Amino acid sequence: MPIDKTFNRRQLLKTTAAVGAAGAFVASTPSILRAAEPDKPSEIIVRAWGGPWVEALKNGVSDRFTAETGIRVIHDLTEDNEIQPKVWAAVAQGRTPPIHINWDTTTNATKSALRGVCEDLSDLSNIAGTTDLAKPVGVEGYPIVNTYGYVYVLAYRPSAFPDGPPKSYHDLLDPKFKGRLAFYNDGIGFHFPAQVAGGGSLDGIPDAMDPAWEFITKMKAQNPLLGEDPDFVTWFQNGEIDAACTISTNALGAKKNGVDIAWTVPDEGAKFDTDGLWIPKGHSEGDLYWSKAYINSALTKESQQIWLDGLGLPGVVPGLTPPPGMAGDPAYPTKPEDFERLIRISGQVQVENESEWFSKFKTIMQG
Amino acid sequence: MQRSPSSYPLMWRVMDALEAAFAAIWPKGGGKYTPYLMLTPAIVLVGTLVVGLLYIGDSSLRTLDKSTFQFSEFWTLENYVRAFSEPFIFTVVWRSLMGAVIVTIVTLMLAFPYAYVMVRTPNAFLRKFLLIALFLPFFIGQVVRAYGWLIILGNQGIVNDVLGLVGVEPLRLLFNYPAVLFGLVQYMLPFAVLMLAPALTAIPEEIEAAAGSLGASWVETMTHVVLPMAKPGLIGAGLVVLTLSLTDFAMPAILGGGTQDFIANAIYDQFFRTSDQGFGATLALLLIALGSMLVGVVFAVFGAGTLALDGSQK
Repeated sequence: MPIDKTFNRRQLLKTTAAVGAAGAFVASTPSILRAAEPDKPSEIIVRAWGGPWVEALKNGVSDRFTAETGIRVIHDLTEDNEIQPKVWAAVAQGRTPPIHINWDTTTNATKSALRGVCEDLSDLSNIAGTTDLAKPVGVEGYPIVNTYGYVYVLAYRPSAFPDGPPKSYHDLLDPKFKGRLAFYNDGIGFHFPAQVAGGGSLDGIPDAMDPAWEFITKMKAQNPLLGEDPDFVTWFQNGEIDAACTISTNALGAKKNGVDIAWTVPDEGAKFDTDGLWIPKGHSEGDLYWSKAYINSALTKESQQIWLDGLGLPGVVPGLTPPPGMAGDPAYPTKPEDFERLIRISGQVQVENESEWFSKFKTIMQG
Repeated sequence: MQRSPSSYPLMWRVMDALEAAFAAIWPKGGGKYTPYLMLTPAIVLVGTLVVGLLYIGDSSLRTLDKSTFQFSEFWTLENYVRAFSEPFIFTVVWRSLMGAVIVTIVTLMLAFPYAYVMVRTPNAFLRKFLLIALFLPFFIGQVVRAYGWLIILGNQGIVNDVLGLVGVEPLRLLFNYPAVLFGLVQYMLPFAVLMLAPALTAIPEEIEAAAGSLGASWVETMTHVVLPMAKPGLIGAGLVVLTLSLTDFAMPAILGGGTQDFIANAIYDQFFRTSDQGFGATLALLLIALGSMLVGVVFAVFGAGTLALDGSQK
């Protein structure tokens, strides 16, 4: 095609430079920006967990997003369980939801997806570069994007186990640990290892879980404490407990605070689960666009690296460098063989049965 | 004689103004309905609560569809059947009920002497000290107070530190039923004293003196004169403490270590943990029914007149 005579070399260079700059901008921003970019909101609100969790998100994702887009990120620290009914009510009543993005457990998020309150995230360009872990199980498409996995480890105080780390949950039945153990107050993370410890098999979940309830009944005799994430750190710090079934991040948090603590995956295995990000329906087109851009940026290798260094957890983008001290750690699975001792039950099974599991656990523990 | 403006109370002026306003708006009413119109704000307030209860009642009759996490379209009594058949719910209700009764009894036993001394002491300094000690906790929220007990009673808390000085191994003072009841008593004590103090103030000191001059010992005066006359205060304080304890959330959650749930904690779990708002609404209505029944029993046993609700006391 002949170039117009008036299109001289200088103009060619100018045009090339402009196209190059535009290309670079498009490459650095999500592909959902193929369409015309809507007006930017002054801020977006991301629900997050507090303490080391929100710090890691801020450093890894939010601050980088603000630097790239100029959009301020507000972190709403309302508990995930408590924001859920508010979001559901807002969507049902046609109101704007109180948050733009929910950082949520995949199980909780799956409930919202089944209820139909999640925006579809299938068009995020960075999903293509993620592992299978990013895809939620039991729902169509990507109403949620999983962003990392975590393990419910058996955390322990080494001084309480002078003969080496506990090999099994049976070790915790030793009378010397009476009143010195802790679990989540709904038993989450412990139901599945208890099923194995009780002599059952994972195939028995959810229909034949008597072995789990029998083992939990034995554990009840140890008079364990029951709490939430922050409680475990506090209890370890205050010397209230010697061992707990908790997410490795909490154990890591306690360790960073100077508590002598270690963790292991016992013979029974450990529950592996994921957290994710999702956007509630009901936002304006512009807010939705930039909320998607936020989640897309959370899926870049750079953001994942910083974010998950803070949490000490494995991400969904290949090639991340494990945080210091976490390479080869059972709480940082990356290779297929690392997952052999971890228990992963589909989100759908969990969503359909967890209220019954919680109720049974509480019946035993508070009976 | 001309009346001074101050002899006509402000409240009467307000009533006159309201009557005039109603007459201007609705002349044909002739003032007959004015008292009912004045009830309107109270009716709106109570009506709002009733509407809320109706919504909760509607929710309680719907079950959760776990494939869509939506309420059922139809009404069913399934949630109520579940509430009356689940052992955990029975445990929680019984624990809450017993806890409320124990806390009420202990609180009244502690509040009565406190209020009596505060009202009767001739020592101005002591009275002020007791008043300050009474009101100070109101500036500190329940949650903060509960966390304060964690610091004081924890394994590495002040109490265990002191015990350690005399060679006692750390004791588990927290995360059990007595710890929850202890926290509740400490929380309820100021409420009970505040309710009792006016009732004791209303008993003339001369009556106690008269009882003494007629030969009654101090103990007899207390049991046969003061306590019976303080009954309205005791019943009022008891009702407040009983209902607040029965519905408490924070103390069982914080001092119970997750093992001592009350009904409010179970309701929270249903609303926020398992997303089953229908069952949560059922438990909420059962809690309201239980609290109302308890108040009804108290009225039935002691009579509404104990609170001067029968209009007999001028």
